[in-house]
Amino acid sequence: MTNYRIALITSAALFAGSCSAAETPAPTAAPKPVAAKPAAAPAATTTQATSASPHYVQAPSGNNLTFTFVQEGAANKGSFRQFATELRYDEKSLPSSSLNVKVQIASVDTQDKDRNELITGSDFFDVAKFPIAQYVASSFAKRADGGLEAVGKLTIRNVTHELRLPLTLKPTAGGLELSGKTAFKRLDYGVGQGEWKSTESVSDEVKIEYTVSLVRSRT
Amino acid sequence: MPFRNTTRSWGSLSKAFHWLIVLLIINQWWIAERADELKGLAKLEALGTHKSFGMTILMLAVLRLLWRLMNPTPELTSETKPWERALARISHVSLYVLIFAMPLTGWMMSSAKNYPVSWFKMFQFPDLVAPAEQTFHQMLDLHHLLFKVLVGVALLHVAGALKHHFIDRNDVLKRMLPFGGVK
Repeated sequence: MTNYRIALITSAALFAGSCSAAETPAPTAAPKPVAAKPAAAPAATTTQATSASPHYVQAPSGNNLTFTFVQEGAANKGSFRQFATELRYDEKSLPSSSLNVKVQIASVDTQDKDRNELITGSDFFDVAKFPIAQYVASSFAKRADGGLEAVGKLTIRNVTHELRLPLTLKPTAGGLELSGKTAFKRLDYGVGQGEWKSTESVSDEVKIEYTVSLVRSRT
Repeated sequence: MPFRNTTRSWGSLSKAFHWLIVLLIINQWWIAERADELKGLAKLEALGTHKSFGMTILMLAVLRLLWRLMNPTPELTSETKPWERALARISHVSLYVLIFAMPLTGWMMSSAKNYPVSWFKMFQFPDLVAPAEQTFHQMLDLHHLLFKVLVGVALLHVAGALKHHFIDRNDVLKRMLPFGGVK
């Protein structure tokens, strides 16, 4: 309690005059960027090195991320409305290509309010604790059939598993269109707790389909 | 018992349609009542079964209607008064309409809520309407209302059959009983 008070006073003193006055983490947060600066420098050079691969970011529209699962014998569909994609891609340098997709779990839409609440609740995605699902691939590879795939890891509910993401890249006016489909098992990631661990009524397998419009970024 | 209807009595297939649908409707009511009290996975499963039985009734209704059109309909006795004939006609037509309308409104509820319908997890039916919360609630209200109408008309239907049997003392009820018949 006393420590907390001191911290508050210190932070108040540090941020005197600033009306934003972030409360608790202020004393620790403030020096952090300063300490991080030297460490950030080599990281920046690494980015520079890979920046040979053109950089693409998600366009404001033309993006779809849908999922399909089987419920009581019928295919049920839903989608995520908000997600962000970043791609570094050079077809001549697949190992240094990379893909990063961040999905806002709260943006899930199964066209039914009750089910959206259920899915974002603690038995499924537990959005309060895990607001973001992420896919990170730090290299690309050719598939046996000649197609392209991202070699990366999917993290949902803080559980990470390797996942190869097959994808197609098509040139567009402003950049690229990335699309593909894959599937994963929801229970590998703890999506389905308690009675929902049963796969009798809700399938373990979830299929995903994605289409993302990417625009070339100067950075 | 003949397979087809005659102008005097119902054949075995018409009787099978009649009684099977009666049992399925009672079963539907029972599952729906139970599902209302359930939550989570158990509710999902109960509604999945309710939907599968509902689609069974709809498919039987199609076959039953075709069979009725392909067969003679047993006639009412000559003593039946015009108002009785009219009431019988109205209730029979209503019951036929209801065995289509109940499953169809249920199916639309499922489509509107984006919970597509399967038949006992074996195959999936297409969606009838686009997902929309308002449509779901309209169909839900209609489904409930039609059930009340169904109960009312079914009771009238039973009352009519009992009148034929106990008051008019004719064969109208007997000829629809599973193992009854008319000479």
